[in-house]
Order: sequence, then C-alpha cells, then structure tokens
Amino acid sequence: MKRVLLSLLVAFGLLGSALAQQPGSTLVVGMAILPNTIDSGDANDSNAIAVTRQIVERLVELAPGNEGLVPGLATSWEANADSTEWTFHLREGVKFHDGTPFDAQAVKFSLDRWNDPANPYHFGAEGKAYVGWRNLFGGFLGDGSAVSEVVVDDEYTVTLKLTRSISFVPSLLAGGYFGFDSPTAVMAAGANYGTPSVGSVGTGPYRFERWEEGSRVVLKANPEYRDGPPPTETVVFVGVSDPTARLAQLKAGALDIAAAISPSDLDSVLSDPNLELVRGEGGLNTSYLAMHQNQKPMDDVRVRQAVAYAIDRVAIVDAFYAGQAVAAEDIIPDSLWGHADAGAYPYDPAKASELLAEAGYPNGFDTELWYRNSGLEPVIAEAIASYLADVGIRAALKTEDWAAFLADYMAGNFPLYTLGWNADFADPDTFIYTFYGPQAVRRFGWNAPEVVTLTQEARQVPGQAERAALYAQVVTAAHDAMPMLPLAHQSQFFVVRKGVTGLVLNPLGAFPVLTGTSKAQ
Amino acid sequence: MTTYLIRRVLGIIPVLLGVTFMVFAINRIVPSNPAVAILGDKGTVESQRQLAEELGLNKPVFFDVEGYRSSGRFGRLFDSQYFTYMGELLTGNLGKSFMTRAPVTDSLKVRFPATMELAIFSIIIGSVLGIVLGVVAALRRGTWVDTGMLFIAVSGVSFPVFWTAIVLIYLFSVQLGWFPPAGRLNVTSTLQPVTGLFVIDTLLRGQYKMFLDSLHHLVLPAFALGTHAMALIMRMTRSSMLDVLRRDYVRTASSKGVPPLVVVMKHAFRNALVPVITVMGLSFGSLLSGAILVEAIFNWPGVGSWIFNAITQRDYPVIQGGVLFVAAVFIVLNMLVDLSYVLIDPRIRY
Repeated sequence: MKRVLLSLLVAFGLLGSALAQQPGSTLVVGMAILPNTIDSGDANDSNAIAVTRQIVERLVELAPGNEGLVPGLATSWEANADSTEWTFHLREGVKFHDGTPFDAQAVKFSLDRWNDPANPYHFGAEGKAYVGWRNLFGGFLGDGSAVSEVVVDDEYTVTLKLTRSISFVPSLLAGGYFGFDSPTAVMAAGANYGTPSVGSVGTGPYRFERWEEGSRVVLKANPEYRDGPPPTETVVFVGVSDPTARLAQLKAGALDIAAAISPSDLDSVLSDPNLELVRGEGGLNTSYLAMHQNQKPMDDVRVRQAVAYAIDRVAIVDAFYAGQAVAAEDIIPDSLWGHADAGAYPYDPAKASELLAEAGYPNGFDTELWYRNSGLEPVIAEAIASYLADVGIRAALKTEDWAAFLADYMAGNFPLYTLGWNADFADPDTFIYTFYGPQAVRRFGWNAPEVVTLTQEARQVPGQAERAALYAQVVTAAHDAMPMLPLAHQSQFFVVRKGVTGLVLNPLGAFPVLTGTSKAQ
Repeated sequence: MTTYLIRRVLGIIPVLLGVTFMVFAINRIVPSNPAVAILGDKGTVESQRQLAEELGLNKPVFFDVEGYRSSGRFGRLFDSQYFTYMGELLTGNLGKSFMTRAPVTDSLKVRFPATMELAIFSIIIGSVLGIVLGVVAALRRGTWVDTGMLFIAVSGVSFPVFWTAIVLIYLFSVQLGWFPPAGRLNVTSTLQPVTGLFVIDTLLRGQYKMFLDSLHHLVLPAFALGTHAMALIMRMTRSSMLDVLRRDYVRTASSKGVPPLVVVMKHAFRNALVPVITVMGLSFGSLLSGAILVEAIFNWPGVGSWIFNAITQRDYPVIQGGVLFVAAVFIVLNMLVDLSYVLIDPRIRY
C-alpha cells in the first residue's frame, strides 16, 4: 500500500500533500445503486465492491493505473514448482479497525469462511452466496473448489493448498472480492455481517461509519492507517439508478464523482466547465455479440461467420463510444497478452452474402436479436440489426429486464444477443475460461471439448509464454468457429467535479481506492 | 356509523389476503427467479439450484400436493412457500431481503415514512394549488384565465413525472442553484430518526436548521410528484364548483344578499369539496406509484424505489412485504376518504 501512496504523491507532487489532512473534507460518490451487502466475500457487483474496497484490503493489490500486481496485506508470495501450494508472507503490525490484529489466523478465518460451506461463519443458509469465490475458485470445499486447505505456517505466513495447479492465484486474490474482514467483527455480527445495521470491519484507509438504508453509506478516514490517514475525512456513497439524474446531480454539485456515465453523455460532460473526465487506460472488458448454436440457423458455422463479416465494428465504435473504446480484435483486451495472429474478421458484406448463399440462405432469414435496455446497448443493437439487414438477415430487436434476460440467455433461448464482460481479475483467464471454457456450451451452445481442455490446461501451466501459446490456440479456434463476435473494449472513465484530484483508475473498471483522492475546498 | 366502520375494517382482511395471493402468484409467473438474479451471469445451473434451495424456493408455491400424496399427511399439503410465508406474516415477520439480508420490516420503518413525507407534501402542494386554481377557473369561466388554467392542467397530466423531475433539477438546481437535487438532508447531516418523517424529527430533536434543510430538500421532489395530482384536483374542483354554483341554494343565498365571497366559500366551495376529496384520495394512491420514478431520480430512500429495485432483482420478500404494505395503506386511505364525507356533507350518513 505504501507504494500505492508513494506513486500517488509523486504523480500529484506538492498538490497531494497540500490537500492532505483537510479536516472535515467530504467526497460524495454517485454509483448506480447502493450495495446489497458490504461483506466483501459476498459482495458481487461493482457498486458493492466500490464501497468494500475502501474498507477492507486484499493480500495482493492492483498497481494503480495498470494491470500489474503490488503487495497488499501480503508483502511477498511464492508458489511451489507445480503451483499447487501458494505461500503468502503477511505484513506485520497491521490492525483491523476494531483493534483485532491482522495475522495468518485472520487470513485463514476469512478464506475458510468463504471456501467451506460447513464453516460456522459461512452462513450459506442465510443467503450468503460468495459468488466471487464460487466463480474464481471453481466452487466450495468438496464441491469443485481449487482450495483444499489453508495452513497457518507461523504468525505471519499462510499457505493455500490447492487441489489442482493454478498459476495465477495472486491475480485472483487481487480481484475485488477477497478483502479480509476482522474475525472478531464477523463472529460478533454473525449472518448480519455486512448488512446496513452492522457494516463491515477491515484494515483499509476508510472505516465504516453508517449505512442509511436506501440513502447512503458513510465512511470515515481511518486515523491509524499505516500510511497515514487518507486526505479526505468523509466519503459518502449514494445510489442514483437513473443515469440522466446521476449526471444532473453531478452538474448541480450534489455529487463529486459519478460512476457509470454513458459515453453518449460525454458531450454534455465535456461542455460543462465544472466537470472533468478521469480516464484509465486499457479497460479490461469486452462487449460482444453472441450466436447461440442451439438456435437455427446459428448452428451453421458459415452463418456465424457471415454475421461476423456483415458487421462493421470499427464504424460502430466510432459512432457511439465518443472515442472511449477500441474495436475488438478478439475477446482479450489489447493490454493483456494471449492474442493470436488470426485477428478479426474484416467488414465484408459481399463475403457475408456469399457465405449465407453457401449455407443455403441466399435470401437471408428471420431471427431475433436480444439486448439489454441500458447504456449504449440499445443503439448498438440497432446498428447491428441494420448491418445484418444489409446482407438479408432480418433480426427483430427484442429486450427484457435483466433478471429475465439472464435466465433466458443462459437457457439458450436467444439466437443472437449482445452483452459485455468486465474482468474479475487482471489475467486472460477471466475472459478465456469464462467464455470458451466449460461454460461455452451454455453461453453459446458451442460444444468443443478440445478447446475446453486447452482452457483448463492454460490455468495450470506456470509460465506466461506457455500459457500465451495455449490461449493463442483457443483464440484461433474461436476465430474459426465464431461462437461470439467480440465488438469493443471500452476505456474506464469516471466524471468528477473540477477540483477533485488523485483519482487513479485501474483497468478492471473497479472503483478505485480513494487513498489519495481529495477535493479542493 | 359504528357497524359501518366495523364492516369496513373487517372487509380489509379478505382484500389483503387476495393481495398476498396475487403478489405471490405474479412473482412466480414473471420469468427468472432470485437465485438467477443473485448469482448473475457467473451462475452455473448447479449453483443456481443450490442457492434456490438455500432460499427455500425449492418448495412448491401454494400446495405441496406431491408431499401430501406420498406422506398421506394433510399438513404436508401446506408445506409450501405461500403458507410458510403466511405463517410468518401472522407473527408480524415479513422475512428478510434476499439481497441485503436486512429484515423487511426494518427497511419498511425507514422507507415508508420517507415516502409518506414526500407524498404528504406532494398532496399538499397539489391540493392547495389545484383547489385555488380550480376555484379561480370556475369563477372566471370562459375567460382567458380559465383557458390558462386548462393549459396548466393539461400540462400537469400529460408531462411524464420523470421528465418534469429532470427539468426541475436542471432548472432549479443546475442553473439557478436554488434547491438541492437529491436526498432528504445535506450529506453531512445526521439525524437520529424518531418518526422517520424528517420534517417532524428535526423539530423533535430541536435541530431547526436541519428542519429548514429538510423542507428545502422536499421542494423539488414534492412538486414533481404533485403536478399530476394538482392537475386532476384543479379540473375536478372547477367542474364541481360550476355544478354547485348552479344549484338553487346558491342562487337563493345570492338573492338573499349574502356577500359573494361568503356564497363562494361557505355555500358553494364546501359542497363542491366532496368529489374533490375523492380525487385527492385516489391521487394519493397514484402518488405512491409515481413515487417510484421521483424517488429514483431524487435519490429519495422511499418505498417506491425500494420495490422497483426489488422487482429488477426478483427479491421476493421485499416485493411481497412492500406491495402488501402499500396496498394496506391504500385501502385505509380509501376508507378514511369515505368517512370524511360525513364531516363535509351533512346529507351523507352511514
């Protein structure tokens, strides 16, 4: 964490120190919705993680501004030869906000709590789902989990024993989910830990102050933070679900920082002298058009390739993203490794028509294109439909609310649908395994066991070069079989009031820790 | 009157039972379910099944016919989601939110007063403006004043609340800076709630500055929410006034030499109020639904935005508890409206 603060101070020179320690200073952050929970292991969406990141810390942290890793609560880590045992050396002398010492026992407490459904503090029956753990570590103990045991080696050393080799455990632990809570606080609060009446207790720069139901979550600077208290005394998170209202509140000065502003509103942001755009480089996200092979005629690879040739991704990105995205070459964002030489399909409607004719659809066909009614998704779906219409594919545009959309797309009910994915951690695995791994059958009806095997192998070989070679094979296979067409990678950005400084984004798109962020009064 | 009252109160019970049944049925007819919504697009079929079981969603919705058949015990028939819920409901337990794990009753204690405060101020703004403008329009019937009022009324009904709200924020918060665009109090203020109505709590706590602050925060959302009611009340007042002004007793009063203001206020206006009160009561009900949008835009922590979020996340306990509560409030309000006729119009007796 020291390095984080140091680099911030360097970046902002004297400004950083001049603004530090302003008593009574407040930052108001507008998210799309308030958290469902601030129990970090159970928090599952970006809005909740935005809050938990300020309170709890992870063993490993993302370097500010890029996808590298830096020490967090662990100062160093190493693996055995086949990456089945990961040992973490913990920072000494750290205390939770409630005074409980942070040590190997505390790390074991949280890891066991997330991993083991039989752990008395797991509270699965109370509805705690630990989606992040379930997804990133493959399941719970005895039921798919990659972690078989957490061993306390000594007071400040802890080892994770795995059931299978995973070469990127530090990346996983740097994702947003795995912040460490005070065992004392969890034991005292029981299943209510992380709810509005109790909050959560970590080691981070901010401590939980109160959570007013439906209204705001208030955090206060942790005066005993090891790198010194953060420059802003109070951070208030509010949830404003309507994006137009969120922007209006920012313009009116009721918010200092707004998340999830649509690129389509950027004109209105840039023309306002009181607002500023804070950008991060290389967003680790991918929006895509999926083609589900359970639905005819998407089962024909020529039809899927025709769809890919028919759509001008570059024009779509230029038209709608206000310069805040690049057209996707493949599923992996440009700043990560693991790409293949295959590249993307060029925009070639003639070729698309040719492939359609070959597949037996010289006059095209009727189908449905489903999209979510939020952000840019409706206009992009319209653009895609019109490109498809040019080659004779008549796609009826359809939408429904997110919960229903989720159930339907997972059941394979949509022939075509657009969606996006934000990386859970900074490694190609979060894209490759999620989409082309065992879930590919469900997401796209793409049944390619040999590709799934490659994605599993790539999780286990230790070297980046070997892994990159495997990913290149997977990406090439996906290029040929075209289960989904990657469309764009969007840059991360937040909109702030003028005078807010020290907000450094990370490419995960997760809301940054506000260690160095302050507002000129 | 007493028997009427008892009959009305008893009549509430079957209606509320019907509401619980409807909400339960509709929740389950709508596609998707809470386990899918909670696990999001990382959920696997297996984890969704597991979570559904943990949440008690694997039980039959209304009757466990299978369980009854296999066990032969009549009681098993009621081992269902609905009857489990109703059993808890009888003890006053509305369950816990699937999403936040917070007890639904705890949330209601915060959310309901917030919505009530907003709705009460909206109906006050709507009624005062609506009645005054309606009376003026009736008295100046056929003139440009009347036409102007008609214009206001049509605008009030036809502009979507959502749009009015955003326009108000841009005009009065962003441009003029007169009113705050969000929340119930300044972000740095803290108030220990007593009744949950901040306008009252600030006074009870002796926080006079905060009292003014809470009124200040109420202006835009209450106005945005009240415009629709104002328009309806204005039109109803106008037509009701015109109707009454033509009555014999008004003409008699005028010809007896009673001063015009007294005729209007005492003889005409009071009797014109009966249908107006009906509209006010109904408007109050529709305010509760309009509140969904207004609360979302003004970041107002009320019942509307709460139920709306719950619906998008398929948070059954919140939807059930919230809708049941709103329905109860609506029914009670209607009853009060009916009873108030007695006070206003001596010709009505129960």
